[in-house]
Amino acid sequence: MPAPAHPFVSRSGGARRLEPVVFGISRAAAYLILVCGAAVFLDIVVKGGATVFQTRAPFVNVAFLSEAPESLYVFEWEGRQMRLGDREYRAFKQAHPAAAAVPAESYVYSSGGIFPCIVGTLLLVVGSMSIALFLGVCAAIYLNEYARDGRFIRCVRLAIINLAGVPSIVFGLFGFGMFVIFFGWNVSLLAGWFTLAFMVLPVVITASEEALKAVPIGFRVGSLALGATKWQTIWRNVLPYALPGILTSSILGIARVAGETAPIMFTAAYVVRDQLPWQVERAMDGLFEGVMALPYHIYVVSSKIPQNEFTERVQYGTAFVFLALVALIATTSIVLRNRLRARYKW
Amino acid sequence: MTEPSPTSQPPDPAVFPVHKRRLRLLGLTVEDCIQAFFGGNAVISVVVLGLITFFLVREGAGFLGQNRGNLSIYRLAGLEYVDHLRRQAEDHTALTRYLSDLRLRSLNALTGPGGMELEAANARLAAFDAFASGFEDAADPLRGLVSELSEVAAAIKTRHLVIEDKKEERRQLLAERKLEEAAAVVIPEIDFAAELRPIRDSLPAYRVVNRDLAARLGTLLAALPRLAAPEFQPRVDRFIALARDFLAGFPAIERDLEAWDHTRPVSAGEAFPAFVFGRDWLTASFWQDWYGIVPLLTGSFLVALVALCLAVPLGVGAAVYVNQVASAREQRLIKPGIEFISAFPSVVLGFFGIAVLGQALRALSQQPWLAWMPGFPYSERLNILTAGCLLALIAVPTIFTLAEDALNNVPRALKEASLALGASRLQTTVRIVLPASLSGIISAVLLGLGRVIGETMVVLLCAGNRIAIPDFSQGLGFIVEPVHTMTGIIAQEMGEVVRGSIHYRALFMVGLVLFVLSLSINYSAQHIVRRYRLPSS
Amino acid sequence: MVNLPVRLGSPAVAAPAGVPPVAPSRPLVEIEDLDFSYGVTPALKDITLGIEPRKVTALIGPSGCGKSTLLRCLNRMNDLIEGARITAGSIRIHGVDINQRDVDVIELRKRVGMVFQKSNPFPKSIRENIAYGLRLQGLRDRARLDEIVERSLRGAALWEEVKDRLGESALGLSGGQQQRLCIARTIAVEPEIILMDEPCSALDPVATAKIEELIQELRARYSIVIVTHNMQQAARCSDQTAFFYLGRLVEHAPTRDIFTNPANPQTEAYVSGRFG
Repeated sequence: MPAPAHPFVSRSGGARRLEPVVFGISRAAAYLILVCGAAVFLDIVVKGGATVFQTRAPFVNVAFLSEAPESLYVFEWEGRQMRLGDREYRAFKQAHPAAAAVPAESYVYSSGGIFPCIVGTLLLVVGSMSIALFLGVCAAIYLNEYARDGRFIRCVRLAIINLAGVPSIVFGLFGFGMFVIFFGWNVSLLAGWFTLAFMVLPVVITASEEALKAVPIGFRVGSLALGATKWQTIWRNVLPYALPGILTSSILGIARVAGETAPIMFTAAYVVRDQLPWQVERAMDGLFEGVMALPYHIYVVSSKIPQNEFTERVQYGTAFVFLALVALIATTSIVLRNRLRARYKW
Repeated sequence: MTEPSPTSQPPDPAVFPVHKRRLRLLGLTVEDCIQAFFGGNAVISVVVLGLITFFLVREGAGFLGQNRGNLSIYRLAGLEYVDHLRRQAEDHTALTRYLSDLRLRSLNALTGPGGMELEAANARLAAFDAFASGFEDAADPLRGLVSELSEVAAAIKTRHLVIEDKKEERRQLLAERKLEEAAAVVIPEIDFAAELRPIRDSLPAYRVVNRDLAARLGTLLAALPRLAAPEFQPRVDRFIALARDFLAGFPAIERDLEAWDHTRPVSAGEAFPAFVFGRDWLTASFWQDWYGIVPLLTGSFLVALVALCLAVPLGVGAAVYVNQVASAREQRLIKPGIEFISAFPSVVLGFFGIAVLGQALRALSQQPWLAWMPGFPYSERLNILTAGCLLALIAVPTIFTLAEDALNNVPRALKEASLALGASRLQTTVRIVLPASLSGIISAVLLGLGRVIGETMVVLLCAGNRIAIPDFSQGLGFIVEPVHTMTGIIAQEMGEVVRGSIHYRALFMVGLVLFVLSLSINYSAQHIVRRYRLPSS
Repeated sequence: MVNLPVRLGSPAVAAPAGVPPVAPSRPLVEIEDLDFSYGVTPALKDITLGIEPRKVTALIGPSGCGKSTLLRCLNRMNDLIEGARITAGSIRIHGVDINQRDVDVIELRKRVGMVFQKSNPFPKSIRENIAYGLRLQGLRDRARLDEIVERSLRGAALWEEVKDRLGESALGLSGGQQQRLCIARTIAVEPEIILMDEPCSALDPVATAKIEELIQELRARYSIVIVTHNMQQAARCSDQTAFFYLGRLVEHAPTRDIFTNPANPQTEAYVSGRFG
């Protein structure tokens, strides 16, 4: 073996051999996480997709998306296994009186669709995000534009950080104690809105503050030097440019609002409600009624009814629709951001 | 026109009109009002934090008083007295369970591969069976006494509760100013001393029962038949030791019963420790409700422990990989991927646990080649392990993102200096980058812990919801036991309790504990970051 | 009437050529015994300086000598900096003490415009950049806006270059154009005084020459105070020069005197390039 021509020839040693092993393990960790996430995601998508999509036109199971949940009745009839929803079953019994005597297994919520849950979730998300965005952006404007460092501001920041760490179930208890009982709103959309809004408030404030910070200081002094008041400067020359950032980062908040079950369990969610939120006598009444919500429905159908081939359809279908909805909200926000970004670029 | 001298001329507002001419409301300009408005919004976070504390305390504070009442009636109605006996009977039952376990093991050993037929084996154990049934029957008089006295005590308690209801009724009538109707509500008094007489008078009878029991058990133990298989001898010896301990405890019980006094008041200081250190959470029981947070706290922490054991190596490992090794392309794949996982709603993960993971893990645990794992195989599909695995998936994005940030914040100069001295990438990572970002990583782990402790839906759906402190005697095997958690119990029971009842208030107390716990975790995380922050470059 | 100060800088009433200086005994801006500090750190000490109307006054001196601070005092941009305050003395414009409580800082800044070191056009169209200040004052009339936009751009010698793309983003302009746009934006609100804080420090020589040319044109109608690092620039385009050193005003004299015959040895050392 010829001697090395120069002193920089690679030398092997313990540390050198260890390096690929250690980095290999850390790489395995990274991909293991992704694989686990993908496994959960694919399981829901594949099994839930079977409920939501179909091979015949219109390819989407419209009934599942547009009807209210019903009980499912399973019974033997003329050697065939029949699976009928509540209304169909009653019609069938009228058509075939003998069917009434046939023992039927019933599974609640396992037939029909989840339309009221979708509507309820959308209402909860839109309402609570509007409240949270308004309060959060205003708070962020104060913190970033007006506030001067001091004990008060440190106190506010500490509160924001700590609020972010409060468990969601505690927000549920708080919403129950304050809105449901103390304000007497009962289990209602309004109570859910405020509970969820307060829960995402720290996320929105932090996100908005980051976005405001990203607006160059030159925009502010330039505007002030032209004789703009502080408020004119903020309204015309800071907020429009911060908006894309605020919206993007609020995706996090939206995903969280849509995904949380614990805070709405005792403040806004009904296990079942026959009317849709707008089917009330006076418009305001809708605010003081609870709604059905997708996450709570998933909880109900996965814990209160048995797991079997008849119930799986609605369980996976709801989970899939819910995941898809969260993804849809996030995508909308991203598209919105890109549009605004293109308009306001510096 | 006389022309004033320019120097003595007063400032002319028309020339340089810069004086204020703005609208004022209560002495504030519009700008001031706007600022005050925004400031008000900023205060909301502080206010919300305060309101959370206020309402948790408001709804939970009554618990201590009510629990004191709960414990008082436990004593006044003689339930406490009966429980002394009941505990003795339960200890005895535990011993008989030990015996039947021993029999099962012996039988399995006898009929095992190359062993004898079932009947022959049973015949072999006949002597042991005779001993076991003798041992069990010996306590029959004790059990009889317990059930007799239980009925008496339960009856006193029921009467007391009826009276409490009447008092409440009268209070409400008085509040509504219906004085006559209030006066018409008859509230009988209970003479507890008289009511308790049957219980107290049973003491001599108990002494007799006790002496008999001690004598019979002593005789039986002296003539304990030998088991065929010598490998069970240590267990037999252990049983004898346990039984002797049991017998030795009899005089103490008698002393307790003699000294028992129903009038001894329950002090205010006892209600709180009963909650914080109580080892039972038992509600809606016909006998006595207990609100002790220990099983729930243990459950929460065990689940979190399992989750963190999985999530910390994975999250930190992935962060190190992405930050130190991965190519830009891999980063673009891994980072959004992990962030996507953080968007998974927890209830969906919980559902996945029920529908897929629980069964999958159980099937895995029943593989023979995994039998060495602690607790494997197991049969409860929803347990600490299932919940812990899913919670790990929730904690990983938090830990990963924050740890990656911490690694990113290590000044480039430090890393380059190390590389320039001839250190390898691994050496630089381990000796320079990781120590420099350690505080950030620790705080990431703490925040992950906060996330996991506060998570509700996954534990509610997947932790098995058995309110009990797991059995630690089997070592790590506890990880496959079902538990209940603080978040889970609130979510599960809050919907079903009567507003204002002690159970309702107990749930708010649990919420308060959870709140304080998460605040302190969060605060320590912030503190660590601030304390050990690198000087910014 | 003639001796009343003419409202300068009003483009509507373009100052006729040869109007005599308002009142030689009374400068437009009078700075008297001014002390200024950032928190506890003093930045300016005992400054007394008069700024003549419709002249270019250059403030020169080494970095950190307080010249920018003084400039920012003139339209109270220092209000935005926490802890920064005037500890003694006064600044009067037209005899009005601008730090008095009843002076509205917004009105002040409309009268005293400012151009910054780094050009900071807003991410709007060129037209909207100019119209921004006017819209703030509630001007909505489209024709009037367009008129002022054109006049301001012409005033800033930018009209010919951008007249076909007024609707395009101002961020598409070159650095020098951006800076002239900022000047146009400033003169659109018709100030009397324009403050320039090293307006050419980020520009190449060609763009710098254009800005300097513009300054020469603007002096006919506006009083200009310019902070510069570049002594040639001060020599080329200013009438008066003030030299600052360590927070003190060392010398204030006509520019020619400062550069050819400085009274103070420190000034001489600085202008001859021996330090700074």
